[in-house]
Amino acid sequence: MMNLAQQLREQAKKLLEEKKVDLVIGFGQGTELARNTPVFIDSPEGVSALTWGPFCANNLAKYLVDYKNDPGSTAVVVKGCDARSVNRLLDDNQILREKVVVIGLPCPGQLEWQKVSAEIKPGSTLKEVVDNGDSYTVKTDSGDYTFNKKDYLLHRCLVCENPNPVISDITIGKEIPVKNYEERFAEVQDLEKLAADEKNEYWNKQFARCLRCYACRNVCSVCTCKVCAFDQMQPMWVSKRTNLSENTAFHITRAFHVAGRCVDCGECDRVCPMDIPLRKLNVKIHKDLGELFNSPTPGTEPGLISPLGGFSPGDPEEFM
Amino acid sequence: MESRVVNKGQISELLDKLAKDYNLIAPIKEETMTLFRRVSGAQDVLLDYNNSDISPKGCFLPQNEKTFSYMYTGDTLEINKPVGTQKTVLFGARPCDIKAILTFDPVFDGVKFGDEYYSSKRESTVIIGLSCAKVLSTCFCYAMGGGPCDTTGSDLLLTEIGDKYYVEVITEKGQALVDAYSQIIAKQDTAQLAKDKDELAKKLSGEFVRKVDLTGVKELMDNNFELPYWAGDDQKKCIGCGTCTYVCPTCHCFDIFDYTTGDFTGDRLRCWDSCMFPEYTLEAGGHNPRPSRKERIRNRFMHKIKYHLDRYNMVGCVGCGRCVNKCPVNIDITKIINDLKEVAQNA
Repeated sequence: MMNLAQQLREQAKKLLEEKKVDLVIGFGQGTELARNTPVFIDSPEGVSALTWGPFCANNLAKYLVDYKNDPGSTAVVVKGCDARSVNRLLDDNQILREKVVVIGLPCPGQLEWQKVSAEIKPGSTLKEVVDNGDSYTVKTDSGDYTFNKKDYLLHRCLVCENPNPVISDITIGKEIPVKNYEERFAEVQDLEKLAADEKNEYWNKQFARCLRCYACRNVCSVCTCKVCAFDQMQPMWVSKRTNLSENTAFHITRAFHVAGRCVDCGECDRVCPMDIPLRKLNVKIHKDLGELFNSPTPGTEPGLISPLGGFSPGDPEEFM
Repeated sequence: MESRVVNKGQISELLDKLAKDYNLIAPIKEETMTLFRRVSGAQDVLLDYNNSDISPKGCFLPQNEKTFSYMYTGDTLEINKPVGTQKTVLFGARPCDIKAILTFDPVFDGVKFGDEYYSSKRESTVIIGLSCAKVLSTCFCYAMGGGPCDTTGSDLLLTEIGDKYYVEVITEKGQALVDAYSQIIAKQDTAQLAKDKDELAKKLSGEFVRKVDLTGVKELMDNNFELPYWAGDDQKKCIGCGTCTYVCPTCHCFDIFDYTTGDFTGDRLRCWDSCMFPEYTLEAGGHNPRPSRKERIRNRFMHKIKYHLDRYNMVGCVGCGRCVNKCPVNIDITKIINDLKEVAQNA
């Protein structure tokens, strides 16, 4: 994996040297051994900060929106799931294709850093990460630690649809076969089996915890509204008060607002400081969209018409 | 003051009694989260946690607080304030979080301004602290003047030693409580336990892996409001959510607004607010003095390492590590402090 990081640095350097882009957005070492952080490289000398591995959970595609009005082009490092975001941002006219260089890396799965960190001796320094197929070996100065993917990957990675970026200008690394450790809709199917009041009880318990920090909204690559209804003071659709009613209004509205556009990158779920399983809401909608409209996960291909955002004159519904 | 002992076998009995006599707030497990909640007895209380996901600051500054309700009937305006404060015990809070409450005191209960909603809760609450048993990789309380077994701010501090809790009585309030429960919080020879606690404190203080040093940072901030540093990666990667401020035990900003049901009846509420939100400083005329993430990030960290010191001579960070742990993009206050220190040294 270290070799891939080296290739990534070389490609980034070339892009910056040849002035094909003004900025490369990628991953750099974070402040914990098992954690990487977004880095913004604007000079060829800066590329040494770039890294790659199983600690690159963030979806960097949304940052492209911050630079869309800059004169130059921007390169972004994406995994398979993040690449769906790029497609979706293009379809939503949030970014311009000619101003974006997509550096795609086939991804063998991202580890949950807190879980990994808890097992590694504090203060250790990372030497290397080796991908063994169904596990990673994290080599450090305090010894080697092996993490089974089944137990340590982010849940979204256990049911990954696109380990290989669905859009990429420069691909680094070999194509990776799809490997699912779980049935994609298993969690949602379990919830579907519950009676209505049990479902209600389940979600009430989750939403009651919400702090309304809006991390889920802000991290979301399809939440790109200039002014969000939840930030408006007049009219105040939802007040700053947190309670079950207002929190539920927020989460249900959000889930439906991204329905048909959510690319299932799972970032909302990852960033929630209160561990609210937000992805389950989105995955339920994906499941329904698939069953009802035979619709693939948004962003899987460029130019996919959102099942809820398009229409057909031949629609069998009478009102058409 | 004196010190006493509670046998581990009797801690449940103590908690049950406290829950009967007081409004008892203690750490509990809710799914994957460790949170402070009101408990009805010992059965739900979690004592072997490391760092709760949210600090117990809500005991004194709830995320939502009704300051009064109002009703306008056409010719009269009726205003009702919530009455009375319940006698409360905050049990099992960690030393960093208790130190954080001390940073609230001069803000809400100061010489210049008094806030009755805060001070009534503060007065009627007994804080029973619990020494840490473990140092996490994100912890850095030692660098902010605290420590895993620090007694500062507690009325009583419990330290787990073998099959006992060593109880240090720190304040009069704590003394009154141990006297009322002296059947369980027993008088015993505590010389050995005191020695064991010192040993534990020493051992834990050697386990911090984050090296943080505030020396010179405030002085740099005093003379440099504008630093190129603030235009760096942190403001680029910040997603502008409120996670860091809501999980922070010392962040105490709030917003006040009316929640009206439409017929001139409603509540005036005070709710947590976050300086990381653009609306936080948005003025009525449309001007925003902190228009971008650069200004907002600078403000948050300046508040921790300069403004709180300027105003109250206290660092506005206690080193609990929650923002480090929870930030979606790994913005890390310890890195910022160390980076600024480097800037100061090279200036």
